[in-house]
Amino acid sequence: MNVDRIISLLRQAKHISEETVYTLCLRAQELLMNESNVTRVDTPVTICGDIHGQLHDLLTLFDKSGGLEKSRYIFLGDFVDRGFYSLESFLLLLCYKLRYPDRITLIRGNHETRQITKVYGFYDEVMRKYGNSNVWRYCCEVFDYLSLGAIVNGQVFCVHGGLSPDIGTIDEIRSIDRKQEVPHEGAMCDLLWSDPDEVDSWSLSPRGAGFLFGKNEVDQFLARNDVELIARAHQLVMEGYKEMFDGGLVTVWSAPNYCYRCGNIAAVLRIDDNLERQYTIFEAVQPQNGVGNPIIPTKKPQMDYFL
Amino acid sequence: METVVQQTDYDALSCRMSAIAKGYLPSPSLQVDRCNYHQYKEFHMEYLRALKSVSMRIYSIVNRVVKTSFPVMNYGTYLRTVSIDVALNDYLTSLGKDKKVQVINLGCGSDLRMIPLLQNFPTLTYIDVDYDSSISVKSKVLWNSEALKNLLDLQRDESTGEVFAERYKLASSDLNRLEETMQRLHDLTEKDCTTIIITECLLCYMRQEESQKLIGSIVSYYQSGTWIAYDPIGGSEPNDRFGRVMQANLRESRNLEMPTLMIYNSKEKYASRFPTTDASVTDMWEIFSNRISADENKRLRSLQFLDEIEELKVMQKHYVLSTASWQK
Repeated sequence: MNVDRIISLLRQAKHISEETVYTLCLRAQELLMNESNVTRVDTPVTICGDIHGQLHDLLTLFDKSGGLEKSRYIFLGDFVDRGFYSLESFLLLLCYKLRYPDRITLIRGNHETRQITKVYGFYDEVMRKYGNSNVWRYCCEVFDYLSLGAIVNGQVFCVHGGLSPDIGTIDEIRSIDRKQEVPHEGAMCDLLWSDPDEVDSWSLSPRGAGFLFGKNEVDQFLARNDVELIARAHQLVMEGYKEMFDGGLVTVWSAPNYCYRCGNIAAVLRIDDNLERQYTIFEAVQPQNGVGNPIIPTKKPQMDYFL
Repeated sequence: METVVQQTDYDALSCRMSAIAKGYLPSPSLQVDRCNYHQYKEFHMEYLRALKSVSMRIYSIVNRVVKTSFPVMNYGTYLRTVSIDVALNDYLTSLGKDKKVQVINLGCGSDLRMIPLLQNFPTLTYIDVDYDSSISVKSKVLWNSEALKNLLDLQRDESTGEVFAERYKLASSDLNRLEETMQRLHDLTEKDCTTIIITECLLCYMRQEESQKLIGSIVSYYQSGTWIAYDPIGGSEPNDRFGRVMQANLRESRNLEMPTLMIYNSKEKYASRFPTTDASVTDMWEIFSNRISADENKRLRSLQFLDEIEELKVMQKHYVLSTASWQK
């Protein structure tokens, strides 16, 4: 299997055979199996939020932030669903992981599950592109091996959603058996689903999974684990990123013009060796083919507007 | 342009069918208890079934979309449908059961509100107005279904093929043509009767001049009434790009124009479309945040995981319900 060739095909959103996807997913599983629940990563590193199948914007993200040859990357999950190129986006990240294992960390998002991808587009996309669900099943197997978090220089805790009332220390995350479909409740679920908010203590989340947590919970977590920042994604931020709680938490969002509709800009966060934060913002691009003509995204049966 | 606008009814119908299939509609508290709507799911399913025998093409478009609708769309459809139903019901109830009143649904498409309203308000008359092609399909579908025909007590004029009931009329008119429209309304309605106008995603497809003339003529023709409108607004904040992206997307994918989206781009500007001083405009996010009870919210959450709530907020802040009353 020639990973560089597959990368080149994926970057052009070209079709990858079912057999190739199978091999790719199997090798990715073998690699991810040996990673811990919370991966240790060194600076300098670029932290990226939700991608949601927006392949062309993912390519822009790499362009604007230096690319894998120059920088390490952490992706905070939600690679799939909603956009037109969930499969290509996820496989591209997997290929990069195989090609540069120490330069890219992939964290699981709440969309990297069988249940959610059946509702939010990834399953339908695979059915449309292959006529059967095999490729979706292979990818879901990989989802079960993705890390739950990362820690940069022991100082920046990275997770898709947020904190959990069941988790006091980062070490407690290490003891979770992560190799399963995301449960509907409990620590693993919360890490992928929770949101920060202006609340006094743990509160019910309007999403129906995870919790809302406030400054108190964040301050406690930072002090107890001796870290200075929680970097998370999960929530659309119109300006691309948003710091909260005196800079103790940041939301990073990396899908510009989310769902080709929201009109937001996107951001990535670079942490340098002095733990300085530098945000790079970028906008959506009109997808183009090799000779500069716009690519019409795979036609959806419906525009998501109320007409 | 006519076809493109007329086809937006397929979107509206499929969104409604999807929200029904997933259990968002009917709302037990807001539609069944408060508005006294019954058999809501049944008469919608019956309409869809009859549509299949009238136009396989339209049926398959609608049916395909029903299967792929996202939770944010179901929430939005729920908010749109329920807020209009409640506004209608509250106004009708405030008039009193015995008050003579006429409801005119401009750009009705396949909306079925006439069924519960005619049942619940015995002195109410109802007029559906839309393009000839839409009215023709709707008439056939209603006539082809024994259940709907009986429910509405429909008759058919054998010479013209027109379908109607004593208190229900279907009228075809291009609403961009003011003279034709006013003539039809003159023939079918009463000038002095209290009038409710419904425009659910109608004004947004019209050019500014035509839409404002339509509003002006209708408001000055009828003695008293209220205008209930639902439309998108483009947004007025400097960094808000939702409206422009929407215009570009719809133009590119459907060749569909929304000429006034960026003109009446805020609640205040939308209210200014109506010559009355009391137009009240609420966006759908306010309705979701303030007027949906905790229990109802809990019911909605149990239907599907709602991800993302931020996206729902962005979208729903750009759709408004407006009610404007006038009295001479």
